[in-house]
Amino acid sequence: MSQEHQRDCIEVLIEKARNGQINRRTFIQAMGLLAAAPLAMRSGISWAADSKPLVVVNWGGDALDAFRRAWTDSFSQSTGIQVRIDGAGPTEGAIRSQLASGKPSWDVVDVDSYSAMTLGRDKILQPLDYNVIQRGQVTSGLAHDYGIAGYLFSYVMAWDSEQFGDQGPTSWADFWNVEKFPGKRTLYKWMNGMLEAALLADGVPAGQLYPLDVPRALRKIDEIKPHVLSFWSSGAESQQLMIEGEVSMGAIWSTRAKLLAEDSEGRIRWGYDNAFLNASSWAVLSDNPAGSQEAMRFIQHALQPEGQLKLFELLGNGPSNGATQKLMTAEQREADCASEENFKKQIFLNTEWYADHYATTLEQYLTHLSK
Amino acid sequence: MSTTHSANLERSLLLIPLPLLLVVFYLLPFLGVVGWSFTLPEPGIEQYQRIATDPAIHDMLWRTLRLCLTVSTLALVIGYLLAYCWVFSPPFWQRMVEICIFIPFWISVLVRAFGWLIALRSNGVLNGGLMDLGLIDSPLQLTRNETGVVIGMLHFMVPYALFPLLSSMRQLDQRVLLASRGLGAGALRTFWQVLLPQTVPGLLGAFIMVFVFCLGFFITPVLLGGGQTVMIAEYVFLQMFQTSNWGLGAALSVVLLALVSALIWVLLRITRVNRLVG
Repeated sequence: MSQEHQRDCIEVLIEKARNGQINRRTFIQAMGLLAAAPLAMRSGISWAADSKPLVVVNWGGDALDAFRRAWTDSFSQSTGIQVRIDGAGPTEGAIRSQLASGKPSWDVVDVDSYSAMTLGRDKILQPLDYNVIQRGQVTSGLAHDYGIAGYLFSYVMAWDSEQFGDQGPTSWADFWNVEKFPGKRTLYKWMNGMLEAALLADGVPAGQLYPLDVPRALRKIDEIKPHVLSFWSSGAESQQLMIEGEVSMGAIWSTRAKLLAEDSEGRIRWGYDNAFLNASSWAVLSDNPAGSQEAMRFIQHALQPEGQLKLFELLGNGPSNGATQKLMTAEQREADCASEENFKKQIFLNTEWYADHYATTLEQYLTHLSK
Repeated sequence: MSTTHSANLERSLLLIPLPLLLVVFYLLPFLGVVGWSFTLPEPGIEQYQRIATDPAIHDMLWRTLRLCLTVSTLALVIGYLLAYCWVFSPPFWQRMVEICIFIPFWISVLVRAFGWLIALRSNGVLNGGLMDLGLIDSPLQLTRNETGVVIGMLHFMVPYALFPLLSSMRQLDQRVLLASRGLGAGALRTFWQVLLPQTVPGLLGAFIMVFVFCLGFFITPVLLGGGQTVMIAEYVFLQMFQTSNWGLGAALSVVLLALVSALIWVLLRITRVNRLVG
């Protein structure tokens, strides 16, 4: 092998390593083969997350591939930090057990904003570094010490036009009105938005929802319960109940409602009026294995409009960064739960209230469901 | 003598890893769970007090026991009939019974739950068929409630009831039954006084197995219960993963284990007594 060519190979390798196209192990092995091990040592390439890729944990399913395409591939390319997406589902308990094990293997998690707040208070999460993450990129209220909104989604009312024609329900009071709007209902098993819906149906003005009057909401839930076919716990389940016509009305995710309207060719209708907006936040585990800085850099990367638009296109999740709106077509903005127009129609779930009351209230709620 | 002794020794050496494995991978972690039940969130017996007094937990425990008992009883009856068919049928029917049992047995619990959901839903195969035949006017609510959970669990449990019953029936000396008939007993009397008493150990064995299995069911109630049939396994999961109430989750696990152990102990005693009497 000519010396010139060998030098060129070394240069190619160093270049690739700098761009994060190969990891440290491959780099050292290749340099070893080229007998350039000492050079490899002095190459001065930083191997931030190297043998430990940054582990980003989400809820699996379609979101695995969508996260990769929206965020992690481009992040690895620009920083050289490898990322692995784990779809295990970062429930509060799972995150706690990561820390309790003494050897957490997760870095960045995609959690409900209120979970981030609760876990932050318990020191399970580390405070976000707002020197790296530009807090101002998201609307105020969507960022707190331990979490910053990565995307938004909404609990909307969807209904079957085969049952009600064009005279569909327009309010949560209609949702509760089984005489005027007969048929079975489906509600969310994990409570978010359902107490609010019950209170609105019971006549509480939107502005006075919080703090939630839980006993009153539960009484109202008991009222509709005989007409609830199923309390759905997965998006797929809610979609199946609606498309099969097993229920005439459902409180479901906007992302699923959008798919339903498309799949049923307009039979299933829905809208953002009186819907409940919620944010999913990025958070970082305390003592995360791949390093604090890397995690913060990833979050900052994931707040950029291009990636957020990509996620919207793939899953229908609303961007948390308002600047993304500018990249959207009018049609996209109409479907986006976070667009200015739609934002006004909806009620934002109160993160602080959920952080303080979620666990205890959820138990009461589930008790009422299974009575 | 010495050779058998050393053979025995070798055999016991080979068996050592088993208890060791149980201690390391089961007992020690479980002691950790027991520890949590007394220390989280604060040291004390608060969690057990809650289990003893909280009506919501009693509801859930009662629902779990009721469903497990229903499923175990039904599984035992069906299993008994199948075992009877198997033992006393010609080879062709034996094969048929085997096929009907083994094919579903190999299908995952998740797939089966979805299958039942599709078959039993209001506009599903069963309701559609019954309505076409004019037997019912409006669809029966067979799923997304306790009925659905019982059907789904039963489907899974029948083979587990069948195997112990089969083995006890196969060991039976069939000439005894012939003798009973020969001495003038009718079919029913032969069944009650000769066949059934001899298969009681098998019945109890099957009952223990099915009941204990049922207590741990998770996926089937979640999918077929319509979100309203929370059983103990899901309740523990809820405490551990949704509401971060590890102390209560741990205490419930301990209660569940105690319940299962007590049950097995009692039933083992009964079977032993029965064998002595028999």
